[in-house]
Amino acid sequence: MDYLREELYRLQNTVSTIFDFIQESSLGGLWFWDLTESGNKWASSRFWRTVGRERGAWDAVLSQEDLVAIEGHVEACTANNSDSYTQLVRCTHQNGTNVWMHCSGLVLRDVAGQPYRMLGVLLDITKQRNEEVYNQELANHYGSILSNQSVYIIKTDAQGNYTYVNDFFYERFGYDSKIIGTRSIESIVEADWSKCLTVVGQCFAHPEVPHQVILRKPYKDGTIRSNHWEFKGVLNSEGQVGEILCVGYDVTLLLDNLDRSKRLLELTKQQNTRLQNFAYIISHNIRSHSANLTSLVQLMQNAKSEEQAAMFLQMLKTSTDKLAETIVNLNEIVTANSNANQPREPRRLKLEVDKTLAALNILLHQSQVTVTNNIAPDVTVNVVPAYLDSILLNLLSNAVKYRSLETAPTIAIGSYEQDGYTVLTITDNGLGIDLARNRSKVFGMYKTFHNNEDARGVGLFITKNQIEAMNGKIEIESEVGVGSTFKVYFNESIQSDLYS
Amino acid sequence: MRAFNLIYIVEDDLITSTITELIVSQNEAFGEVKKYMNGQEAFDALQLVAQQQAEVPDLILLDLNMPVMDGWEFLDAFSSLALQKPVCVCVLTSSIDPDDIEKSKRYAEVKGYFTKPLDGDMLNQIVGLVA
Repeated sequence: MDYLREELYRLQNTVSTIFDFIQESSLGGLWFWDLTESGNKWASSRFWRTVGRERGAWDAVLSQEDLVAIEGHVEACTANNSDSYTQLVRCTHQNGTNVWMHCSGLVLRDVAGQPYRMLGVLLDITKQRNEEVYNQELANHYGSILSNQSVYIIKTDAQGNYTYVNDFFYERFGYDSKIIGTRSIESIVEADWSKCLTVVGQCFAHPEVPHQVILRKPYKDGTIRSNHWEFKGVLNSEGQVGEILCVGYDVTLLLDNLDRSKRLLELTKQQNTRLQNFAYIISHNIRSHSANLTSLVQLMQNAKSEEQAAMFLQMLKTSTDKLAETIVNLNEIVTANSNANQPREPRRLKLEVDKTLAALNILLHQSQVTVTNNIAPDVTVNVVPAYLDSILLNLLSNAVKYRSLETAPTIAIGSYEQDGYTVLTITDNGLGIDLARNRSKVFGMYKTFHNNEDARGVGLFITKNQIEAMNGKIEIESEVGVGSTFKVYFNESIQSDLYS
Repeated sequence: MRAFNLIYIVEDDLITSTITELIVSQNEAFGEVKKYMNGQEAFDALQLVAQQQAEVPDLILLDLNMPVMDGWEFLDAFSSLALQKPVCVCVLTSSIDPDDIEKSKRYAEVKGYFTKPLDGDMLNQIVGLVA
C-alpha cells in the first residue's frame, strides 16, 4: 500500500489543504519561530483561536517569564545537540485564564549546524490539567477532613482489623501506625465487646446503611471515654462487605450530663413523692381533729342534758389541744425539711451523747436503765448541731420509753467508721419492733407501734428527715422481745457530690 | 328498722370512737356497738367469735392508721377468718389519699370508703349498702 503513502506525501507537498487539515483538526496550534537575530515568530490561526486572541498578540499571550522558559528549553536543546524537546507552556487567554499547552519542539539547523528555526507543535491540555489540579485539591480537602480535630474515622477489613485510622484517632488515643492490621475490638473496654459485635453483625446483615452504637475506650491519659459511632458495611465489587467504615465522636461529656440530669430528676421525683406524702399526712392529721370538732359541735347542739353537754365540752377541749399539738409537730417537720442547707460544725460525738444522757438523767434514774457510752473520745462528726441534739434525744428517749419491763433495761452506745460514714449505734434490750410487718413504717409519720399514750408518731420521722438533711441515713435492726439497734450514718463530706 | 344488730368500731383515737359510737347509737338502724382500740384487738375478738360460734358483727367501721395492727393488716388477717356469715366492712378514715381509696377497693370485704366526720347521711348510705 506504499503507493498511498507516496501519494499523500506528494499531495501534501503540492496541496496546502492536507497540511492545514492535519494541524487544524488535531492540534491546539503550531509555532514556527525564527531563531536568528530577527526573532520573528509565526503561529497558526488555530493557535490564536485557542488563546482567543488577535493574530500576532505575542506579548499578551506569553508573559516575559513564560517566554524565557521557552527560550531556555530551546537553548538547552541546542546545547545538548538534540533536535527536539517537550515542555509545558502556559499561555494567557483573552479572558484571563491560563491555557496550558503541551509543546513538542523541533529545532531546525542550517548547513553550518546552527539552529535557525523552531517548529512547535502544541496540544491544548488545559482541561486535563484543570482536572488534575481539581483532583489534587479534592484529595487535600478530604485529607483534611479525615484528619480533622473532632471526629474519629477508622476503617477495618471484614475481619475487624484496622486498615485506616485518621490522625485525630491516633492523637486522642495515643496510638501510632503500628495499630494498622491489629484487631480493632481489643481497643474497646471488654464489657462493650458484645455490643460492638452485635453492631458489626448488623453491618453485614444490612450493608451500606449506618448502624449506631456507643462504645467505651481507654483514653491515652488512662480515663475511659464514651464514643458514639456510626458503623457502615461497605460493599466491594463482588457485592460482599469488604470493609467497615466507622465514624465516631466523643460523647463522654454528653453522657455525664445525661447521667447527672437523670440523678437530679430522680432526686426531684423523690422530693415530690415526699412532699405529696407529707401533704396527705398533714391533711389526714388535721382532718382527723377537725372531723371530731365538727361532730362534737353538732352533738353539743343536740345535747339531752347538762352532763352530756359538759362531757362534749371536755372532749372539745381535748380535741383542740390535740389539733394545736399536731400543728406544732407539723411545724417541726417542715423546719427539718426546709433548712437542708444549715451550716454544719464539728462536734465530739461522745460529748454530745453524754450531754443528752445528762438531760435524760431523771428519766434514766427512774427507769433504772444501765447506759454504757463506748464512743471513743476523739470521734468527731460534722453536723447541724441542733439536729444532732434532736436526733440523740429522740433515739435515747425512745430507748428508755420502750424498755423491757421484764429484764433490767440496758442501752449501749458505740460508733465505728464505714465507707466514709461515721456510724453511731444505739442498742437497747427493750420491746423491739416486728420488722417483718413494720419495716416500711418505722420511720413513717404518725406510725406508732405500741399502745403507748405518749406516742406521737413523729419522733423517728423527724429524726430520719434531719439525718437525711445532713446527707446521712438511718437503719434499724430489731426483734420483738429482744431489743432494737438504731444505726445513724453521719456523712463526713460537707456537701453532697450532686451539687459540687 | 334494724339494718345492723352488732357493730364493731375499730379506732385508736378515744374521742373519735366515742363520737362514732354516739352518732351510730342515735340511728335506729344500728344496734349494739363494740369498740376496739386497734386491728389486733378486733381481730382477737373475731377469732374468739369464730371459735365459740358467738354473734358475728354485721358491720365493721374500720380506721386505717392505728398502732400495733393497722387497718390494712386487719383486712389481710380478716380474710383468713372462718366466720359464719359475711360481714360488711366500711373504712372510716381521715385519709383522702387516693392511694388509700384505690387500695381499699382491692379488698372484697370492703363495701364502702368514708372520710370523717361521720354524720347521719353517711349512716344512711351505709344502710343502703346492705339494703
